[in-house]
Amino acid sequence: MLQKKVCLLGGFGVGKTSLVRRYVQSIFSDAYLTTVGVKIEKRMVSVGAAEVALILWDIAGEDGVTGIRTSYLRGAAGYLLVVDVTRGETLEVAKSIQALVTSEIGSVPFLFLFNKTDLKEDWDLPEQSLEDLKDAGHEVLRTSAKTGEGVEEAFQALAKRMVS
Amino acid sequence: MGRPHAGFERNIAIGDTVSSSVSLLDRDSSDPPFLQPDDARAKRLAVLLFEVARSLDHDLATALPKFEGDPKLEALRSLILEQDRAAIARLQQKFDDPRQFAGAVSSVLADAFTLAGARDEQLAKALAPILELATQASIRKNPGTLVGILYPLMGSVVRKSIAESLDGTLQRLNQAFKHSFSWQGLRWRLEALRSGSSFADVVLKHTVQFRVEHVFLIHRKTGLLIEHVAAPEVTSQDPQLVSGMLSAIQDFVRDSFEGTNKSGGGGIDTLRLGDVLLWCEEGPFAFLAAVIRGNPPESLHAALRETLTNIHDQYRSQLEEFQGDSATLGDLVTPLQRDLQQQERPRETRLSPWLWILPLVLLLLAGGWVIQRTIVRLRVDAYVQRLREEPGIVVANAELRNGKWQISGLRDPLAADPAVLLSQSRLDSKRVAFHWESYQALNPAIVLRRLAASLNPPPSVSLSLKGDTVEATGSVPQYWVERARTLVAALPAGSPKVDLSALRDIQDPEFIRLRNAIQGHIIAFDSNADRPARGEDATLDAVADEFRQLMGVTKRLGFSARMMISGHADAVGNETANLSLSAARAEVVRSMLKARGIAPELLTVRSAGPLEPLLAPNGKATAAMNRRVTFTVIASE
Repeated sequence: MLQKKVCLLGGFGVGKTSLVRRYVQSIFSDAYLTTVGVKIEKRMVSVGAAEVALILWDIAGEDGVTGIRTSYLRGAAGYLLVVDVTRGETLEVAKSIQALVTSEIGSVPFLFLFNKTDLKEDWDLPEQSLEDLKDAGHEVLRTSAKTGEGVEEAFQALAKRMVS
Repeated sequence: MGRPHAGFERNIAIGDTVSSSVSLLDRDSSDPPFLQPDDARAKRLAVLLFEVARSLDHDLATALPKFEGDPKLEALRSLILEQDRAAIARLQQKFDDPRQFAGAVSSVLADAFTLAGARDEQLAKALAPILELATQASIRKNPGTLVGILYPLMGSVVRKSIAESLDGTLQRLNQAFKHSFSWQGLRWRLEALRSGSSFADVVLKHTVQFRVEHVFLIHRKTGLLIEHVAAPEVTSQDPQLVSGMLSAIQDFVRDSFEGTNKSGGGGIDTLRLGDVLLWCEEGPFAFLAAVIRGNPPESLHAALRETLTNIHDQYRSQLEEFQGDSATLGDLVTPLQRDLQQQERPRETRLSPWLWILPLVLLLLAGGWVIQRTIVRLRVDAYVQRLREEPGIVVANAELRNGKWQISGLRDPLAADPAVLLSQSRLDSKRVAFHWESYQALNPAIVLRRLAASLNPPPSVSLSLKGDTVEATGSVPQYWVERARTLVAALPAGSPKVDLSALRDIQDPEFIRLRNAIQGHIIAFDSNADRPARGEDATLDAVADEFRQLMGVTKRLGFSARMMISGHADAVGNETANLSLSAARAEVVRSMLKARGIAPELLTVRSAGPLEPLLAPNGKATAAMNRRVTFTVIASE
């Protein structure tokens, strides 16, 4: 059995928890997020013939970067950065988190998840920003907690990059 | 060290080139036709190269052929090789001068150690004994240095060790106090005395009851689960999630209280939730978390620690480089399962005999009591029934009060004695009390008894019941019959009939003969004399004799007889005087009979005076005839 620690990161209210809720196994209540600052969830993914257990550390980020307990990042094999497309500033938060993570644990695979894409008219980000990230060599996926769009793919893609 | 180490690769390379040149030269010398005139230049160059090679490596100097002579060549050699020679000399000096050589080595020593350490464990093995010796030497020289080095470490280790041993002691003390003053505690104290172990140990033995339900081996850095074992039949949440959360909480605690815990690395050691206990043992790369139900002994800490140490010893590098693939580690289930200890309070398999003897005895006692009561009640019922059947007793109530049977009712004094009946009934007389009201029963049997008591019948009479009638049969003196009639007439109305008709008067011929004989005697007196006339003694003797016989007869018949002595006087003279005279005559006769052996109390004296004259056949009374004493026999009780 292969296991990988994956951190789920993003600014406050970007919908990290609700994004993955339907796609993960969990035995802990959301209260852990506010008390301990992290909630552990699990997602099984197949990469080729291998079964990989993604142990998701849904890390609370009350006020962006500073609220993150860096000790929770330790040992992560990859991470997901969630951005709320209806709030443009969350992209900057995600970028600073990415810088923080890189400085803490070095360079590991990660994905940008542009969340709440179903709210098309409320987009607060230019399409260009997405393209810019792609151009910078980052992998970006559009997701929606409401429709479930992109979530499976995100896990799959991250797992693939972590295992290879 | 006279020459550099034999492994200089660069030298070997040069050597190889030179060797090929040598073979070329060899061919030249053995085969002159190949040597052309302008080959002389080439030969010189070859010789020069040989020289260069020889100067670089002393081994080659002996192996290579020498080319003698040619001072020009020597001059050229020294010219060409001057710089190299200087360099070699410098090197040589570096090797020869220990200070310079040490300086050179020191600059590469750190890198060399790193490289050697990375390759294999040879360096560590080689260094270990030297380090031991060095440490020993250091301690001999100045123990303070090593103490100074170890102090920060020692402090934490000692503190932890003391804390754990205190924990154990406290646990024991707690248990000991808890059980010191109970009945069980006393028993355990006896057991401790008997077995020679300490009381605290005995208490622990009896009370420690725990079960390690889960053991998680968790990678510290990633929080990933390396291995998990659970006790049989223990359900659990997804261990991967649990281990992640445990790891997160450890981090959280460590972050939150880092400031207060200077010893560092201290996460949660013990966590208690109800009767579930979480014990964590931290190692450098992984930690063990044991979920325990109950009160584990402190020794479990040691067991967990040992397991963790062993795993670290065996898989140190794999743990350090753990990337989430448990396949890189060997079998960890077996060592972890050893920690799934459990200890159950020894169950009492053999039931104490008291457990069933006591209820049985109680049951028997209760049963016995019920049976006893039933028996007593039956006996009381039988006894009361018996009383009810008894004439002259009316039982109104029989009840158990204050531990005694209280029997109350009416009883004729002539009825049977209940106490006597009680003694025949197998009842404890002390447990029966009587409350009788006296009354007169009209029951024929009681009436019979009452008549018998009142009439005092002579043996010749028998009273019996015939149906409801009391019947008297037998021979009795007339006086008794009279008395019986009087008594029967006085019986209350409703009394049973009493039949006296079967009684016969006593008609014993002997009695009648003697009575008639006695009553036929007359004692004559002279005029005005109170003593019998002359010649009357014989009559008196006869009277006395016959009365004695009569007494014998009456005694045989069951009654007694008395004799009345009547004194008479003639009508001559004063009547009052005559009365006195007649009384005197009777008295005199009585004393005379007494003198003849008749008990005076059987004799009654009566004075008739002249009032009962004895008449002659012509109807005339003669004075002489009436101066007399006569006798009457009276039958009596």
